[in-house]
Amino acid sequence: MKEHRLRWHGKYTPWLFLIPTIVGLLVFKLIPIFTAFYLSFTRWNLIGTPEFVGLGNFKEALHSTHFMQTIYNTFGFSILYIIGSMVVGLFLAVLINKKMKGISFFRALIYLPVVTSSVAVGIVWNWILGPNVGLIAKLLLSIGINAPYWLGDTSLALKTVASVQVWKMSGYYMVLFLAGFQAIDYQVIEASVVDGANSFQRFFKVTFPMLGPTTFFVLSVSIIDSFKNFELIYAMTKGGPQNSTNTLVYDVYLNGFQFFRIGYASSLSMVLLLFVGIFTAINFYIKKKWAQPLY
Amino acid sequence: MIENYRKNNIIRLIIILMVSLIAVFPFFWMLQNSFNTEQNIFSKKILGLPELLFKKNMFENYIMVIKDYNFGRYTLNSLFVSGLAATGQIIVCSLAGFVFAKMNFKGSKILFFLLLLTLMVPVQVTIIPEYYIMMKLNWLDTFLPLIVPSFLSGALGTFMLKEYYDMIPNSLLDAGIIDGASAGRIYFNIFVPQSGAPIATLFIIAFMNNWNDLLRPMLYLSKEKLQTVTLALTQFQSQYSSRWNLLLTGSVLSILPLIALFIFAQKYIIEGSVNSGIKG
Amino acid sequence: MKKILISFLIATLSLTAIFASGIKETTEIKQDEQITLEWWSWSPEMKEKNQKIINKYESEHPNIIIENTMMSASEYWPKLKIRASQGNLPDVFGMSSSALEEWVEDGLLGNLDEYINNDKTKQEIYTNLLDSTKALAGGNHYYALPFALVTTNLYYNKDMFDLAGLSYPTDNWTWDDFKDAAKALTLDKDGDGAIDQWGFWFYGRYTQIESWVYANDGYLINRDTMRYEPNDNALDALKMLTDLVLVDKVAPPQKDMAAFRQRDIFAHEIAAMSVEGSWNIDNNRNHSDKSMRWGIAKIPLGPSAKVGYIYGWSDSYSMSPNTEYSQEAWDFMKYIAGEGIGMDMYMAGKIPSFKAITESEAFDASAQQPDEMYILKEQAAGAMLTSYTKGWSEWRGYGAAEALGLNGIIDGIVNGEMTFDEAMIEASKDINSVLKRYYR
Repeated sequence: MKEHRLRWHGKYTPWLFLIPTIVGLLVFKLIPIFTAFYLSFTRWNLIGTPEFVGLGNFKEALHSTHFMQTIYNTFGFSILYIIGSMVVGLFLAVLINKKMKGISFFRALIYLPVVTSSVAVGIVWNWILGPNVGLIAKLLLSIGINAPYWLGDTSLALKTVASVQVWKMSGYYMVLFLAGFQAIDYQVIEASVVDGANSFQRFFKVTFPMLGPTTFFVLSVSIIDSFKNFELIYAMTKGGPQNSTNTLVYDVYLNGFQFFRIGYASSLSMVLLLFVGIFTAINFYIKKKWAQPLY
Repeated sequence: MIENYRKNNIIRLIIILMVSLIAVFPFFWMLQNSFNTEQNIFSKKILGLPELLFKKNMFENYIMVIKDYNFGRYTLNSLFVSGLAATGQIIVCSLAGFVFAKMNFKGSKILFFLLLLTLMVPVQVTIIPEYYIMMKLNWLDTFLPLIVPSFLSGALGTFMLKEYYDMIPNSLLDAGIIDGASAGRIYFNIFVPQSGAPIATLFIIAFMNNWNDLLRPMLYLSKEKLQTVTLALTQFQSQYSSRWNLLLTGSVLSILPLIALFIFAQKYIIEGSVNSGIKG
Repeated sequence: MKKILISFLIATLSLTAIFASGIKETTEIKQDEQITLEWWSWSPEMKEKNQKIINKYESEHPNIIIENTMMSASEYWPKLKIRASQGNLPDVFGMSSSALEEWVEDGLLGNLDEYINNDKTKQEIYTNLLDSTKALAGGNHYYALPFALVTTNLYYNKDMFDLAGLSYPTDNWTWDDFKDAAKALTLDKDGDGAIDQWGFWFYGRYTQIESWVYANDGYLINRDTMRYEPNDNALDALKMLTDLVLVDKVAPPQKDMAAFRQRDIFAHEIAAMSVEGSWNIDNNRNHSDKSMRWGIAKIPLGPSAKVGYIYGWSDSYSMSPNTEYSQEAWDFMKYIAGEGIGMDMYMAGKIPSFKAITESEAFDASAQQPDEMYILKEQAAGAMLTSYTKGWSEWRGYGAAEALGLNGIIDGIVNGEMTFDEAMIEASKDINSVLKRYYR
């Protein structure tokens, strides 16, 4: 809780310090967002002036079965990604958080997928998951199991792509959690050891609650990142099979940059915005209820 | 007890090894094939790394990519752009984070909330209006559109630094006020020195995001000599064929600076910040 | 530490300022009559070759400077569109058949009538090609100058045919001949129950499907109503193809081949035959085993086939509608479209639109496979059909949309996601909802 303090700085000091932030906010975020909002009510292919069509784009979306599927996919992908990346990220952070010789080497290795391009990641996983000839298929075959079509089966494809994205990005969340570990007061943890707590108890009852603010931060980042799946989908499945890996971001790209339906793409992006807003609101609600400040 | 401790350490090490293996092998495949010829990459027989490593002209791809395809220049461009963008971000965001954490003023809550809200907006939503803004500013075909939006896109960094500064005890702040220091001095002399870990983290994040950005370089740069590394990789993928071996070589080259940066910055993130020692 | 930070910041800010101002090109200083022409193209692999052409042209025309900008196809169209929206298109730029109709309608292409009608272009370029390009552009005026033609062919593996004791495909091969061969070529070589060699391979891509439709006198788009209303001949063709996977079992379902790059499947001898664009000659030369013997043939004829029609389309150049130097742009355009270039500028399998080049000895002179390059020459002279419309990449499923549209639906049939009839109903619904938007 912030105490109510007397103003200790000049009246305009905050605004002075915030000038770059405000400029950036206005010029590169707010103005474009409102423009996109306006464009979502128009039809425009970049040539000439946008033609006002009212709710036409939204009506088209609502009547399209593909759109409903896309929403479902977006939601599913995000949930899987958020949970997966948070859990794996935290697990990795705990695993790596030890002063051992050479530990920073392994940290860098685990971080490697994060900086590897999605194109390369896509190719390699396509090869690993390939039906019949892929690495996993061959391994499973040697113990007598027929591998499923990881990327070719409409019921599996989305989960597979989301899992690859989790694999790729977990190192990033590991780093964020590690940074958070630094702020934890280890005296409290050591005290619990003396009190006889074993490692599990230590972690869940003492360490994790102190990670509250960090967890909230990582969750916020993870939510935002969960919608950034364009590159991997393009590299692996291109929205297929049968629209099962088409997400809102991918659809926005298709409509904006391939079909040049700027108005429709903008309306899709408004829906995307709504989604992200809902997830974030839920996140803030969780923070209010569960995250405890350090003091 | 010591036995337990050692056993735990061994188990931990094994798990770390397994995890690292899973994390590393695609890069390993990339590295391996960056020495390969194009025909062989997708061929049915797979050459192992040892076979490839000691062939006579093993660095052929690398030489070609750096010399003929100008990758040296592109890497410099990327370093310049991303470095500037990340530096700008850490300055702007730590200032802003400080303000939101430690200053009370009318509108601070609303402004912060607005900032967070815009954080969630994916770039595809805002890119076309942004393009028109850049056009009106006459910044097309310069580095400015690649640097300035990142420089000023403070939301994530501000958020992170605000949370971090929130946790720094107000007693530190009070000490500065009592000494009669101005807000600027308090910021520079008290808070900045403490900020090693989040600033290093933010620098890596901002640098990496800017480095890997494909959309902005693609839209804003036409002159070949201005290209960034990530954009340059696309020239290896044309409609009719992809020069996979060069693509992979280029990809390896484009990853190296990021990993170098990470290794360097790890020090600050992990071993950097520690509680200042003032406990209530 | 903070002093370092501040000085670093100041240094980089000033560097930025210098950089930014320095990079902005100053406007051309017009010395005498120096003219700069901007040329945009989408084949980054042609960089060196383009430069050679430019050097040659500039030396022959000392007052002209050519600025060539090249980028990958996925970058090209958004950036070109943006230039178009600013009214600032390059003087000469590449134009594809699929985009022609829309660009003409938006008034973005310069009218080329006065040039094409008044010089020798009509004699130099294949008439059918010129006509079909004009038709795609609305039929009234010339808006694009074709420089290359691509068609589709049946690729077949001669070694596998020899081993199976089959005679090679001829110009008169029917679908039955084709199916018999495919059956004989589908083999489980090591007896483990899994097929190692497929007789044929295809998926929903336009280059692979449309050829069969046209080889049966079919059409997908009813040009009078501009709706997706395939005639029975077209449906028969589609059914024949999907049955190859589902009934005859001579081709694998698309999802089984997902781990391979589509263009590797024939080149790596996983399938004995495939139908693909003629430009795959280049791919097959470079990516197959040197000992593999292969050839090309015409698309097998369906029961209702009308001879003489092929599936083919041109790549062209267009001119900016408001260029200052239209005569110079035209001269350059003709030069790079065929007048000043030779066979080395064409990827193997792309057919030059200039008759002189295609009919020269250089065209089949290459000692490389296939032996049957004459087929391309015959196709170049034939009448051409395509399925291009406005919104084509959306309803057909092209590029980043490849898993969607008609491409995705056909894949869905062979993957067992839906029956043929279900698929046709869905295709009709989806495709026509797109077409309705473009053609009221």
